[in-house]
Amino acid sequence: MTKGKSFLKANKGFLFILPWLIGFLVFKMYPFASSLFYSFTEYNLFEPGSEFHFTLQNYKDVFINENERNALIVTFKYAFMTVPLKLVFALFIAYILNFKIKGVNFFRTAYYIPSILGGSVAIAVLWKALFKGDGLIHSFFGVFGIDAPNFLSDKHWALFIICLLRVWQFGSAMVIFLAALKGVPQDLYEAASLDGATKTQQFFHVTVPLITPVIFYNLVTQLVQAFQEFNGPYIITQGGPEGSTTLMSLLIYNNAFHTWEMGKASAQAWVLFIILMALTLVAFWSQKHWVYYADEES
Amino acid sequence: MKKKLVAAIMAATMAVTCLAGCGSSSSGSSSSDSKSESDNASIRFDWWGGDTRHEATQKAVTDFQKANPNIKVEVNFGAWDGWEAARALEYQSQTGSDLTQINFSWITDYDKGGSAFVDLNDYKDIIDLSQYDQSVLDMCKDSNGGLAGIPVSITGRTFFWNKTTFDKAGIDIPKSLDDLIAAGNTFKEKLGDDYYPLSLSTYDRALLMSFYLQANTGEPIIDESGKLTVTKDQLVDGVKFIQNLEDNHVMPSIATLQEDGDVALNENPKFIDGHYAGVFEWDTASPKYVSNLAEGQEFVVGTELTGLGDKCLGVSDKVSMLFAITKSSKSPKAAAKLLNYLVNDPEGVTTLGTERGIPASKAAYDTLSKAGAISDDMSTAHAEVVDSDPLYFSPKFDDASLKDSATGAYQDVFEKLSSGSYSVDEAGQKLFDAYNTVLAE
Repeated sequence: MTKGKSFLKANKGFLFILPWLIGFLVFKMYPFASSLFYSFTEYNLFEPGSEFHFTLQNYKDVFINENERNALIVTFKYAFMTVPLKLVFALFIAYILNFKIKGVNFFRTAYYIPSILGGSVAIAVLWKALFKGDGLIHSFFGVFGIDAPNFLSDKHWALFIICLLRVWQFGSAMVIFLAALKGVPQDLYEAASLDGATKTQQFFHVTVPLITPVIFYNLVTQLVQAFQEFNGPYIITQGGPEGSTTLMSLLIYNNAFHTWEMGKASAQAWVLFIILMALTLVAFWSQKHWVYYADEES
Repeated sequence: MKKKLVAAIMAATMAVTCLAGCGSSSSGSSSSDSKSESDNASIRFDWWGGDTRHEATQKAVTDFQKANPNIKVEVNFGAWDGWEAARALEYQSQTGSDLTQINFSWITDYDKGGSAFVDLNDYKDIIDLSQYDQSVLDMCKDSNGGLAGIPVSITGRTFFWNKTTFDKAGIDIPKSLDDLIAAGNTFKEKLGDDYYPLSLSTYDRALLMSFYLQANTGEPIIDESGKLTVTKDQLVDGVKFIQNLEDNHVMPSIATLQEDGDVALNENPKFIDGHYAGVFEWDTASPKYVSNLAEGQEFVVGTELTGLGDKCLGVSDKVSMLFAITKSSKSPKAAAKLLNYLVNDPEGVTTLGTERGIPASKAAYDTLSKAGAISDDMSTAHAEVVDSDPLYFSPKFDDASLKDSATGAYQDVFEKLSSGSYSVDEAGQKLFDAYNTVLAE
């Protein structure tokens, strides 16, 4: 065997992953490292030399500057409204669709469709048309003589409307819950039934404990998605009114591509990353208190 | 060791191969790279605008190519939404089009130190600069004193009114501030709560406020040396003036405009059907309003309002847009040839008409005047601005940190003032701080 051939044989695996590795280094690691570097600078895309003016102010501003602090608070509000609502709703619908009812497959498909549409621009535009001053929702309330609030121009309502858009797209979480519900052994329900447990008691004392690993999985993935939400507020309200729907992701975009403050935007992105990482770690740590893994038990 | 070396070489080779495709095909060139580059060149030209501008410009480009078969022109055009950010990134990465349509403020925003656009004085043998007043060309200089762009037109703000709605209310169109305020109350009483004589976005409010302050001081709000000429108290007075218009039912609140769908005024259903009966716009903008109005509505050019102050009318004018040649152009002479064709050549000028406003070039103005191609509306509106002895308009007034519709100070101040989240004192202070931050840079 020639030297070249033996080299290829020895490094075959490495060569197979080389295209991915190059992509990872160039398009992931490099931007990751450079954004960390820029986050400690006053880098403005159109201020030559600003990338070498080092500062910690970008990080301080996230907590001190009024607009940035507001965006942080709005992001937390958004995540803590959207995630529980979406999980509860998805579990509730999955539970109903787990019963043997007529046309269940149709309902499963119908409830899943909004999720296929994902975070698309078209759906956000539709949402805007539904909730604007002369939109369908207003007209609907008008039929009953109710003067509905101005959902998108009222700072007390706008964020909730953005949340609703994502809650409405509960299908993917629902499908995962449905699979988990199907995995709960029937004999446990029979035993509970014999012990006199009602359906509600069975749900909270049999179903929920057994699907906690799936609840945990959905919680973490939905939390990550919620903190990264962008399309909804960008298209529906552009962050308004009065910054009430300016999430961190939107603020990062505005700073990076409206005022070109890349240093500031990078620092905000890193703060968001650290917050998400911390919340995920807390979620993982909390597992031992509420998540039940059957295999660990045995 | 050998393994590592070979792996590194392979990785590097692959990276170079991959990245070669991402590189610019037009970077790092200069005007002197070829003595006859315009004899056989391929250039790219970009602009933003509406359909009619696109059609006229494409036709002009086609005609230019017929007259200059050695120059191939690739075009890139689109709507304004997202346009600025995309072009700015191209200028920064030296991948911009050879010839590019720019806004006045882009010279200060993106051409710092003359980094983005060539000095067009170097191409004066191709571009006929004698067709422009020197004072106009002086406005288009970059920080190094180079001529960053050729002004296509000069523009200023004036008022346009829906005469049909005013007739319905039984009053004449306003000529003074008092008339306007009286119209607000008349509209409310005679037509209803959802009728307003005027509608202003947050940026419109900032501009009208600057007219008010200028009318009272006799000076541009930001002078040519880049100094803010008003005090904090005067700015408080300015925002009070704006709020007073809203309080007197002259214009809808920002929240009301957001309820309407937060769209441009010419696309707002309440403007289209005549509920919002007045516009404070660039003198060249009337066609986009007229074309959207519902049938049976008459849209007329107004006059600059009197009574804003006792020193002057307070009006400013500015270069509305320019054509510039990017530093990354490989064929700047060919681009200069096209530029001159669009702004000075009778054929190019006739094809473009007034799609970019009333031309700043004397030759172009003469060509269009003789052909009767300048509409009465546009001509009247432009005359209103020119005859009002306009003051200097600083591009700093349009700095992104002030004007940006998402993060700018005008949006923040006038939205929160309108909703009551800011008092007039807070709003004035915020504006004062924002101007000082911009001017200190």
